[in-house]
Amino acid sequence: MGWKAIHRWLGLTIGVLAVVLGITGAILAFDPVQQAWQAPAAPDDLSVATLMERVTRTVPGAEEIRHLPSGAIVVFGFVGDQAQAHYVDPADGRVLGAWQPSALPRWVKNLHRSLLLGDAGRWGAAGIALAIGVLCVSSLVLLLRRMGGWRRLAARVRGSLAQRIHVVTGRVVLAVLCLTSLTALTMSASTLGLVALDAGTEPDVVSVATGQTALPVGQLSMLQNLSVQDLRKLNFPDAADPEDTWKVATSQGEGWIDRYSGKTLAWQDVTLAQRIYDWALVLHTGEGAWPWAVVLALVGASVLLFWLSGVFIWWQARRQAPHITGNNPLAQADVLIFVASEGGSTWGFAQALHDALGHNGHRVYTGALELFQTTAATRQVFVLAATYGEGQAPTHASHALERMAKPSANTVPVTVLGFGDRQFPAFCAFAEALEKTLRAQGWPALLPLECIHQQSSQQFARWGQALAQALGEPLVLEHVPRMPPTTVLTLVTRQDYPGLVDQPTAILRFAWPAQSGRERLHGHGLAHFAAGDLVGIVPPGSAVPRYYSLASGWEDGFLEICVRQMPGGLCSTHLLGLQPGDHIAAFIRSNPGFALPRTRRPVLLIGAGTGVAPLAGFIRRNDRHTPMHLYFGGRNPERDFYFGPEIQHWLGEGRLASMQTVFSRIPEGGGYVQDALRRDAERLRDLVAQGAIVRVCGSRAMARDVAATLDAVLAPLQLSVSQLKAKERYAEDIF
Amino acid sequence: MSKLLLTTVAAACALAIPALAHSRQLTLTAQLKNYGGDGAYLAAYLTNAKGAYVRTLWVAGGKAKYYKHLSDWNRLSSGDTKRLAGVTGASVGAGRTLKVTADLAAALIDAGYEIRIDAAAEDMRDSPSEVRVPLSTGNAGKPQAGKQYIQTLTFQLQ
Repeated sequence: MGWKAIHRWLGLTIGVLAVVLGITGAILAFDPVQQAWQAPAAPDDLSVATLMERVTRTVPGAEEIRHLPSGAIVVFGFVGDQAQAHYVDPADGRVLGAWQPSALPRWVKNLHRSLLLGDAGRWGAAGIALAIGVLCVSSLVLLLRRMGGWRRLAARVRGSLAQRIHVVTGRVVLAVLCLTSLTALTMSASTLGLVALDAGTEPDVVSVATGQTALPVGQLSMLQNLSVQDLRKLNFPDAADPEDTWKVATSQGEGWIDRYSGKTLAWQDVTLAQRIYDWALVLHTGEGAWPWAVVLALVGASVLLFWLSGVFIWWQARRQAPHITGNNPLAQADVLIFVASEGGSTWGFAQALHDALGHNGHRVYTGALELFQTTAATRQVFVLAATYGEGQAPTHASHALERMAKPSANTVPVTVLGFGDRQFPAFCAFAEALEKTLRAQGWPALLPLECIHQQSSQQFARWGQALAQALGEPLVLEHVPRMPPTTVLTLVTRQDYPGLVDQPTAILRFAWPAQSGRERLHGHGLAHFAAGDLVGIVPPGSAVPRYYSLASGWEDGFLEICVRQMPGGLCSTHLLGLQPGDHIAAFIRSNPGFALPRTRRPVLLIGAGTGVAPLAGFIRRNDRHTPMHLYFGGRNPERDFYFGPEIQHWLGEGRLASMQTVFSRIPEGGGYVQDALRRDAERLRDLVAQGAIVRVCGSRAMARDVAATLDAVLAPLQLSVSQLKAKERYAEDIF
Repeated sequence: MSKLLLTTVAAACALAIPALAHSRQLTLTAQLKNYGGDGAYLAAYLTNAKGAYVRTLWVAGGKAKYYKHLSDWNRLSSGDTKRLAGVTGASVGAGRTLKVTADLAAALIDAGYEIRIDAAAEDMRDSPSEVRVPLSTGNAGKPQAGKQYIQTLTFQLQ
């Protein structure tokens, strides 16, 4: 069982009880806060002897004094037959008001520590604390996996509102929650009798009557040398028992004092177990540290938030779980399709392949990759494998490789189709690993490994043609991506550029409708986005969305893209035909590798043509004035210097530190953007040496040329673009 | 049956019968106040005329780690390894009544012995010697008030 399964099932089941402990814990944190305001704390330098002189003057029947964790002093005594407990002012011994151990009903505490079930309940509560600890550990593992390592832990969180709540809250309270679980277990260990706190039995000591009267409390040397800061509790000797002693408890230990001689009769040091327990108590309850109690209360209450958002995430994932229609039993199928997919999108491609082969009369079975096997009936096997994050296998398929590496009679062709994103250095790494393992084990292949970039339906259809040829049967792979829910956007303004010949271009600014809290929780409505993310737009008459890089972020309050007319382009024609007030259906797809992390390091932005759009978005939101340097390549400043006036304005505001523009179609224009880079080689080396982050946006050819140029520029630094990519300092957005 | 054995049995009976005849049953009834806390730990024990510990009559409350809060009993009885043998039960809730019995040698009655109860409850003050009642026929059936936790303590002799 993986961490994800542990986290999910523990959270869904024991999470309910953890909520009870969290809420009651949050309520219990009220006590330390209330006590902090109830009575003045004793000054640290006050000696116990002085305090006792004051108290005995004002409270004649005093029997016990406690120095509470809040710092206040409480005196216990009797008035007639009535036991009394009062706060006193340590400055003059004045009685202030009645003391109550807690302002809360007892059942709150008992519910928190034993679920109102006595000793069995204490074991249960300890079990829940342990479960919370395991949840914390598993969440740390999942968090690191999701964010891509320690260094990116603070990066922006994406996903539905429920996911963001879960992850963002987790990032903040994880450590405290883990500590709470650990301290709870420490306390449980002693309550359940697994650890003994005491130093042993109390010494059998008595005051030795010598005929003198008892010493007044002010003359007891031990109490003269003891400051109130260290005092826990002081018990007076019983007036009716001449052999009784003073008993003092401090943070260091316990002592017994002869009431006549004032000598210390015995001393017991606090055990290590007791010291650990005391620390655990303070950390767990916030006793005597009210700001910490407030933190604990918030963390306790957050458990409810975790559980609710967690249940929601689980429920959403369940609804979106892959479901193959027209599946056949494995044993009878002649074609097997195995899928490894993290987000579930690869299942859509599997379904398309499944349907096409089924249409040709094959009996097709489709299943998850972890079920990989062949039967006597099997004639063809296809593996559709997505790569997750830094080249790992999708979670559910993590053991698939080991399974495949086991030797068997490998005579059936197994063909691998990879899915990934070229922006990541580990593009299709998992599919490549599968391919390597299969070939090493001697499995034949019908087709060589093919890798589909960014779920391209077109590339998938081309692979289908190759497959049709190899199989010798007609086959059309029509993958209709399962469309995320779209939101209707309204065009607000458009800014037209003549662009190149027959290629008019416009910057389109859209508004989105207001969203209710319910929609946001479900992840419905437009997802939050940042400059550099993608907007998917489905033109009328097509089922395949086109993606555009966003030139604005959610915070800007509008959604902006730069659209160039593509010859015969369905989507660009549609978009450029829009007038303010017209609508489009759109959804957001995050582009985490390209988004700019929060940084103080210099940022190098390199863009050509409409590729300047996401870079403009970065500059627009550069409120912290991170030094950003833009290299822009166009053809003619009169026709395609997109965002030109805005960029000039941002340069003036300091959002942009410097700008180099080159135009290839005018005399003295400076050539292409890579020419400008080559000319500025010295400066670029300087910036990269300072740790600069590089973002490149433009056509595939432009990105390739820029990378080659930078490789040459950086060679003297012993650096290359691929090294920068590996360090997540270099990313491309290619179209 | 050997003669020796018969003699032994006869001697044992002769010794035991008067002992049985001189044993009395003590019934302790402690009615607790509504002190507004968790269940109280109570230790009832017997001390002799010199105030020395004789035996434990009953301990209410099962967790040994809390016995230090019954401080007088805990200290006085520390040498008695069998202090808990067959005389423990659950802690007593606020407002509830504890009723226990113990067999006592008749010789202990009206001989300066004293019944003492130590009491403690979580987060509240320990009350060593919550009640002290001389074990005398005159006191039997007379309710005695405790200091903090016990409303009345009554003992009966049979």
